[in-house]
Amino acid sequence: MSKIPHISSSISRLTVSLLLLLVGMGSTKAQVTKMFTLEKDSIPLFRGFSVSFDLVGPAMLMLSDHGEYEGALRVNLHDQWFPIFEVGIGKANHEKDEVTEITYKTTAPYFRIGMDWNILRNKHQSNRMYAGFRYAFTSYKVDIIREDLPDPVWQSQAGFGVKDMGCSMHWAEIVFGIDAKVFGPLHLGWNVRYKRRIVNNDGDLGTTWYVPGFGTNDSDNLAANFNVIIDI
Amino acid sequence: MRKIIVLFLIGLAVAACTSIDCPVNNSVRTYYALKKADGTPDTLNKDTMWVWTQRVDGTDTVISKQTQGNLELNYFYGSSASSFDLPISYTQPEDVLYMLVRNAKGINYLDTIRIKKENYPHFESVDCQASYFHTITGVSATHHVVDSIVINNPQVNYEQNTTHFKLYLKANR
Repeated sequence: MSKIPHISSSISRLTVSLLLLLVGMGSTKAQVTKMFTLEKDSIPLFRGFSVSFDLVGPAMLMLSDHGEYEGALRVNLHDQWFPIFEVGIGKANHEKDEVTEITYKTTAPYFRIGMDWNILRNKHQSNRMYAGFRYAFTSYKVDIIREDLPDPVWQSQAGFGVKDMGCSMHWAEIVFGIDAKVFGPLHLGWNVRYKRRIVNNDGDLGTTWYVPGFGTNDSDNLAANFNVIIDI
Repeated sequence: MRKIIVLFLIGLAVAACTSIDCPVNNSVRTYYALKKADGTPDTLNKDTMWVWTQRVDGTDTVISKQTQGNLELNYFYGSSASSFDLPISYTQPEDVLYMLVRNAKGINYLDTIRIKKENYPHFESVDCQASYFHTITGVSATHHVVDSIVINNPQVNYEQNTTHFKLYLKANR
């Protein structure tokens, strides 16, 4: 029942997303060129790694019925470029909704890979402001249960329960964030993300509700992370 | 840079608002169009039509003017009745509908329509009521007043602006 878009449309969406990133930064051609050019100074290219974990996802898990545990490994290249790999586990446990009586459960990992650019003029200071992009993917299984669904006319019971329905989603993200050094190797930072669905398989029931790492299922989403970052 | 920060803060504020995106029309029904033999729209004119069915527990859920305590699916009268809609069962493999047409002289014609279908549970969100969509695989009818009934669109879902069945009644009823 779900339609999988052609790969060319997926690529074009990703391209548009990246262009939006550049346009959103108000970049001229010269600025864009500068962003991709290594600044000439005595600082070496490789500046180390950092690991981080997000506090918003666990807070959402505590306060609501869905959320994520997420961590990241980031490489520091000349304080300018930060290739990043993010991994997390998204979880939803919505037990028998008060109105619709629907139960929805899923727990699955998700992965993102991308790059951040430090957009501060002085890149070698301890605080950073960055913009970046991600490509993300998750493959997940959901349980969707609606017991005792009464047929109002024929008065039969038509409840259903789907277990381990296989679904997946690819999406792209544009990220904007700030890191601030607290002391030693410890940084705190937040970022906001615009997420755009590229390709999705929602299984056989129409759509899914919560997608691990993406949030509630829609064509796009906005989200925020608050990160604890340790330079290693 | 300041513009970017303001833009993202506005975006974050918008994202903080929750919304429930359930379909405005969330009823799954079948839509019928009365047709003449030449394909032009037909009406009941001075006739009256009742449609009813039987519930799954076997009780005569019907409805007509003569039958009390039962469930009428729909009732139509007059020249404005050129199309109508009826419910469809969630999970039965076949729905049996009874259709009574009474003409202007008071003569009754009773036909039975059988609709075979496949049923698929449909889910939008935990905030939206679960429902069933259907694919109609066959239709048949007796022919006291029904000349023929044909499937026009086999997919039954939330779509309202469609015709699932074209119903041809006999002209000399």
